[in-house]
Amino acid sequence: MKILIAEDEAMSRRLLQKTLEREGYEVIAVENGRLAVEQLCRPDCPRLALLDWVMPELDGPGVCREVRKRPELPYVHIVLLTSKGSKQDIVAGLESGAADYLVKPWDPEELKARLRVGQRILQLEDRLVEARETMRFKATHDSLTSLFNRGVIVDLLARELTRTCRENGSATVLLGDVDHFKNVNDTYGHGVGDEVLREIARRLLGSARSYDFVGRYGGEEFLIVLNNCDSAYSFARAEEIRNAIANIPMQTTIGPLQITMSLGVLSTLDWPHSPVEEILRDVDAALYLAKAAGRNCCKIAKPQVLSGVLTEVIRDEVPRR
Amino acid sequence: MRPLDDCSTTPVLNLSKLLELVENDRELLAELVGIFKEQFPLLLRSLQDAVASEDMRGIEVTGHTLKGMLSNLCATRAALTVEQIERMGREQQQSGLKDALSALEGEGVGLLSELDAYMAESLR
Repeated sequence: MKILIAEDEAMSRRLLQKTLEREGYEVIAVENGRLAVEQLCRPDCPRLALLDWVMPELDGPGVCREVRKRPELPYVHIVLLTSKGSKQDIVAGLESGAADYLVKPWDPEELKARLRVGQRILQLEDRLVEARETMRFKATHDSLTSLFNRGVIVDLLARELTRTCRENGSATVLLGDVDHFKNVNDTYGHGVGDEVLREIARRLLGSARSYDFVGRYGGEEFLIVLNNCDSAYSFARAEEIRNAIANIPMQTTIGPLQITMSLGVLSTLDWPHSPVEEILRDVDAALYLAKAAGRNCCKIAKPQVLSGVLTEVIRDEVPRR
Repeated sequence: MRPLDDCSTTPVLNLSKLLELVENDRELLAELVGIFKEQFPLLLRSLQDAVASEDMRGIEVTGHTLKGMLSNLCATRAALTVEQIERMGREQQQSGLKDALSALEGEGVGLLSELDAYMAESLR
């Protein structure tokens, strides 16, 4: 484990370094408080630090305050090491953000034991962060496919609409629906249906770029936001994604299944300043058109014609997806 | 005015404590003694300059650094003397300062010779 020693006096620094190296620590030793802050503000900073109180440039409590001002940094367990042993000094040291306090001359066994306490606290902190991240993932992702869940993908779309509006940019919104998915569930069971959905998610992610957003919008519906993708490329990208699903049969426990997807395609350039609800409604209407056109195809939403066509399609009772 | 504490009965060097601190690592001890022999005269000179120019903040800061160094070397007597010098600097107490500095200079000489004798003995 990495540990930072900040101590201006060369002999103490060397003694601490050797003592801690013997304990298996990877020691970084610096001679003033400013250098200590530099080390502790790096992304791969040591999580344990042993700081002398009186140092040039910036004292130990000053280092603590600088580090604690940056909540985005990982938690660092800081032990102040000093000959200042009065009650006021101890209080001032701890109030500055130190986690522990050791009075000089230090005893090597006590020093090591206190650092082991620090390690236990860091392990506990790591477990809490891990648990929080697991909860965060569960709250934002679909448990079956691990894609963004409906709430998150809609939020991301809303954010992207704001950004494209602000920057005069464009994005493409795709709403895909697995064709005849009910038949898969009814014929082969929900377990196979789940396998299909997981494979679709994998293929959608494989077709999207790292900065695109892919989410599960509903049962067998997927919402894809292609950032910085204007209308000239919208249809071609949608076709690539459709082909990624349709071209290779999906391997399931009951054997390969030919699965297809219909997609509605909407370029935000054609829907300037539209709210997310309107975008979702109209891309859904385009998806209806794709279903009505025989499925396994993509249809582009066109604002000027969509309402009339949709009215006709709905009147003719589009088959249920 | 606080009288200068009498440190004459305190040992110059607490060798057993020092060996405990370095965990009986003679090589490390030799390295630390080397650092001490290089740094101590420089810090002592800095302290002498601060005393001569009545720079009380300088006395406190240099005294503090010396105290840390001497404590780590378990040079108990010199550490006590320099602790008094540091306190005098902090409390802006001029009287007794030169006496304390003289005492420290003497203790420094004694300490260096004791360290040299120990190192020579351990090399045999």
